Amino acid sequence: MRILLIEDDSDLQTSLAEVLRGAGYAVDVSGDGIEGLFYGQEYPLDLAIIDLGLPGLPGLDVIRKLREQERQFPILILTARADWQDKVEGLEAGADDYLTKPFHPEELKARVGALLRRSAGHAQPLIEHGPLKIDLVSQRIFNGEQEIDLTTYEYKVFEYLLMHPDAVVTKTVLSEHIYEEDADRDSNVIEVFVGRLRRKIDPEGLLNPIETLRGRGYRLNNPPPPT
Amino acid sequence: MLTISLGLVGFALDAAFHRSAEAGLQARMESLVYLVLAATEVDVDGSLVFDENPGDPRLGQPGSGVYASVSGDRDHWASDSSLGMSLPEAVQIQTGESEFLPAADETGSYYTFRYGVSWELPPDRLLPVTVTILVDPQELQPELRAFRKGLWQSLGLTGVILVLAQLILLALGLRPLQRITEDISGIESGKLNRLEGNFPKELEPLQRNLNHLLNTEQANQVRYRNALDSLAHSLKTPLSVIRSSLPSDGSAKTVAIENAVADMQRLIATRLQRAAASSRSANAPAMDVKTQLERLVLSLKRVYSQELINITVMIDTDLAFFGEQRDFLELAGNLLDNACKYGNGQVRLSAQTIDAGDPQAGIRLQVDDNGPGIAEDQREQLLQRGVRGDERVEGHGLGLAIVLEIVSAYHGDITIAKGDLGGACVSVTLRTR
Repeated sequence: MRILLIEDDSDLQTSLAEVLRGAGYAVDVSGDGIEGLFYGQEYPLDLAIIDLGLPGLPGLDVIRKLREQERQFPILILTARADWQDKVEGLEAGADDYLTKPFHPEELKARVGALLRRSAGHAQPLIEHGPLKIDLVSQRIFNGEQEIDLTTYEYKVFEYLLMHPDAVVTKTVLSEHIYEEDADRDSNVIEVFVGRLRRKIDPEGLLNPIETLRGRGYRLNNPPPPT
Repeated sequence: MLTISLGLVGFALDAAFHRSAEAGLQARMESLVYLVLAATEVDVDGSLVFDENPGDPRLGQPGSGVYASVSGDRDHWASDSSLGMSLPEAVQIQTGESEFLPAADETGSYYTFRYGVSWELPPDRLLPVTVTILVDPQELQPELRAFRKGLWQSLGLTGVILVLAQLILLALGLRPLQRITEDISGIESGKLNRLEGNFPKELEPLQRNLNHLLNTEQANQVRYRNALDSLAHSLKTPLSVIRSSLPSDGSAKTVAIENAVADMQRLIATRLQRAAASSRSANAPAMDVKTQLERLVLSLKRVYSQELINITVMIDTDLAFFGEQRDFLELAGNLLDNACKYGNGQVRLSAQTIDAGDPQAGIRLQVDDNGPGIAEDQREQLLQRGVRGDERVEGHGLGLAIVLEIVSAYHGDITIAKGDLGGACVSVTLRTR
C-alpha cells in the first residue's frame, strides 16, 4: 500500500513518514501543494494524507484538483484548525476523513488502515478469505487457529492482493504499490515474494489462492465454498 | 408652538384693530362735535339755544348709545338720547382743547370726547362752552365681533394648513431615517452587510460613519480570529511532532509527556473556542439551520461511511439561527460526531426554535443515539469539566468541552438524558437575544 504524505512541517513530515513506514506502508513525501499535487497525479497511490495549510497550493485546492482529475484513492486531511467548518469544507472538497492536530500516531495508523479497508469494500478490520483470517490492524494472518508468519513485504503483497480481489495485478503495479518512488525495484523480487506467500498460506497446494496469469500478473481468487 | 404663535398673532391683530376702531370712533365723535356745535346758537345774553335735531338721528333716540351734551357757564343741554340715562357728570375743559378718553373696562363707562370752544359775546366777552360726546362701548361691538370672527376663522384655517404641511414635511424629511432604520434591522437579520442606497446629502456622513463602524467591527473580528487561528495552528504542529516522535514504550516519562501534550491540546481548543465564541458580533446574519446540518450529516456519513450510520434529521425548512455559523457547525458537529462514535449506527437529530413568537430568540438542538448512553453519575461530571467519558476514542471529552464553551457563550443550557433510541440524548439550547 502506497501513501502520499503532503505536510509542510519538516519535523512532522519526517516523524509521520517514519510511523507509516513502520506500519508497513510505502510512503512518498512532499512539503508543498504544487509538488504534492503533481505526485498525486503521477504516482500509483492507494491513499493520500494532506495537510490543509500548505505553501504553494492550499490543501483544499490540492484535494479538489485531484478529485477533478478522477483520482479516487482515499484522502485523509490533517488539520490544525479543528473547526467543523474547516472539516466540512475539506470533506466537501472530496476528502474521506480528517485528523486534527495534535494527533496520536496510533490514531493516524488506525484511520489510514480504516480508509484503505473501506476503499476496498471492507467495513471491518477482520477479513475472512476462505480458511484464512486476516486482521488488518495487527497485520496478522491466521489459517484456522494457526498464525502464519509473514515478512513485511510478503504481508504487503498479500494485503494489496486482498484489497483488489478478482483483479489482475501486474508485477509492476505490485512493486509500485509496495515500494516508494525512489526505491530500487526488481520484478523478480515480486516473484520470490509471491512464491513464498503461496507456500506459507497454502502449504498443501490445495487452494491455489494466488493464480498466475502468464504475461499478465497475479489474481487473488475467491476461496472455494466451504465443504 | 404653532398654536402659540398663531394665538399671539391673533391677539396682536385684534389689539391693532381695536385701536384703529377706536381711532375711527374718535374721528366720528369729533365730527359729531361739529354737528352739535352747528346746531347750537348763543344769544346776546349768553344763553344757549339748541336746534332740537342736530342732524344725527341717534341723538334723538333715547338709549341709542350715542349721547351729546353742551355745557356753558349757566346752561346745560343734553341730547334727547340721554333721557333716562345716568350719565357721568359733564366736565368743563379749557377753550381750544380737546380730549379723547377710551372707555374703561367697567360697565357704565363710555368713550368720551370733550371739546372746549368759546363764543364771542358783545361787548368783548367770551363764553366758554364744552361739548361732550359719550359713546357706549357697545357701539364698537358688532364691528369688533365681525372682525374677530373673520380673524379667528382665517387664523384657524392657516393653522390647520400649517399643521398639515408640517406633518407632510416631517414625514418626507424622516423618510431617509426610516430607511436607515430598515437597513439596520436588515443588517441585524443578516440580509445586508452595510447601509446601501442613496441617502440625502445631510445623512451621508451618518451613512458613511455607520458603514465605517460596521467595517471596522468586521475587520477586527476577522483579525482576532486569524491571530488566534494562526497561534493555534503554529502550536499544534509542534505538538504533533512531539506526539509522533515519542517512543511507544509506555514508560512513565512518555506517559507524562503524552498527558502534557493532551492537556495543551485541550487548552488550545477550548480557549480558542471561548475566544471565538465571545468575539461573536451582536448582529450575526441569519443562518439556515437545515442547510448547514445537512452539510454536516453528509460529511459525517462520508467519514463514518454511509452504510454504518443512519442519521435521521427532523428540522423545519425555514428554521434560522441568528448566531455565528462557525459556532453552530462546531456545536452540532461535535454532538453528532460523539453520537456517531458512541452510538450503534442510529442517530436522530432534531432542531426547533425556542420561541415560536420570536424567530430570533434562539434554537434548541437534540441529538439522540442508540449507543450505551451515559450513566447518570457520569453526566454531571461530563458537563462540569468535559472530561472524557470513554478513553477508547479520543476527542469525546474535548468535543464536549467545546460544546460547553459555545453553550455558555450563547447563555444556553445543556442536558444529558436517556433518549428514545436507547442511548444518550443531548439537548442544547442557544439563545441569540
